[in-house]
Amino acid sequence: MQKRIVAQIIIIAILMGSLGDMLVTTDVYDDVLERIVTVICLSCVKLEPRTRLDFTFDTATGEPHPQFVLENLSKGPVFLHYRTDVCPACDDMEPILHDVFNVSYDIREGFHKTILFGDTSVTFIHINLDHTREKKRESFQIYDKDNINGVPMFTIVTLGYHPAFVKPYYATGYGFLGQENPEDAGLVIQDMIDDASTTYHQNRDGYTP
Amino acid sequence: MKKLQLTRLLSQLGFLGIANLGAVGIKTGFCFPFFYCHGCPYASGACPLGTLEHGLYKGHIVGQFLLFPFFILGSTCMIFGRAACGWICPIGLLQRATAPLAKKMGKYSFFKKLGNSSNEKYIRYVKYFVLIALVFLTTALVGFTFTDICPVGMLTGTFPLLILHPTSFTPNVFFPFALSIFILFIILIVLVGRGWCRYVCPLGALMAPFNKISVLWVHVDRDKCIECMACVKICPMKIDVLNMYRDPECILCGKCITICPTSAIKYKVT
Repeated sequence: MQKRIVAQIIIIAILMGSLGDMLVTTDVYDDVLERIVTVICLSCVKLEPRTRLDFTFDTATGEPHPQFVLENLSKGPVFLHYRTDVCPACDDMEPILHDVFNVSYDIREGFHKTILFGDTSVTFIHINLDHTREKKRESFQIYDKDNINGVPMFTIVTLGYHPAFVKPYYATGYGFLGQENPEDAGLVIQDMIDDASTTYHQNRDGYTP
Repeated sequence: MKKLQLTRLLSQLGFLGIANLGAVGIKTGFCFPFFYCHGCPYASGACPLGTLEHGLYKGHIVGQFLLFPFFILGSTCMIFGRAACGWICPIGLLQRATAPLAKKMGKYSFFKKLGNSSNEKYIRYVKYFVLIALVFLTTALVGFTFTDICPVGMLTGTFPLLILHPTSFTPNVFFPFALSIFILFIILIVLVGRGWCRYVCPLGALMAPFNKISVLWVHVDRDKCIECMACVKICPMKIDVLNMYRDPECILCGKCITICPTSAIKYKVT
């Protein structure tokens, strides 16, 4: 009996000590909060947001567009791709994005590249929310216009004519962008790029960064 | 002793509330020591199985996501055994609610056989298969499998999202499969009392071995026992309470303690 009690105490001390040590010395608490609890993996909840790819001027949080987007907007539209490490729908969309933008990158690292679509330069920015700096992470909330808080999320920022002046103008879509499969979602991304390019060319002369 | 069951009900309701503290803005980085989906818009923590899956996803091992839920579950279960199933799990509460229906269905011989057949003890191993094959192996090899069909995820994650945002979402390709499994889950818990805990719950499978070494356990004093079998009849997990010793299936619900006319059954701390 006494041996059992000693063994129990030792095991509990090891487990609780390890748990406490993990909480104090690692980022596990923040990682679970930010990577699992806060951001919904849309494919895991078996749901697809009803996406309306309407362009709008107003950001979801009312905050200004992030600096890293504005810096690239003077070159052309900016396409933002948000994902997390563990997200089956993101994995499904990845090859489609690689095809559309003709890019190749490590999904766990940040990536950006400016690609020419006809006569329009589009900057593709890949943001893995699990491995990104705070500023880029905050942009996820700024562009989450339907307040879905889920990945994959795609945003294209272009220029639009707001009464009296030209301002950043964006559209956000989620999951398979309302399509049945990733391939069809790829066609929607192409349309997003075309629409954004047209609007960009119509308004770029009036844009003051 | 009926007070014990009332306390248990209050505990279950209380923890259902704690699991949903996200409704008042409290979201934490802890894993629940019970089954609840972090896909729930109001979830205050992470599903322990979901976190384990994050630690294994497609063979990319993230040690902290494997160890963190294990340490939380391990600490809890080393002290309380599998009591989380009986005292705090919202799915346990749901099965408590469906128990009267299951009891009624149990009067029909076919359904009675379902929960009492001679092969029943082997069917209980299904949950270990679910844990090893669907939660661990397939997640490590091909990606989410259990998550894609998890009925608890459907109940506590998908449906609340659909109810709270009815116009924002549409079902994806996994929805019909998950819905079918969910319907089977409902049928199971209506036909067989505690059917989910007994046969399928992978979290229960993870916790069950701790009953062998936990500090808290249910002890039967055979000297006081008059073999009235009331404990065996009332046990929701259909354990042979009379002959049990640290049974991995025991959820420490205390129903046997409540009903025992000679107080031969008690919680014991060692």
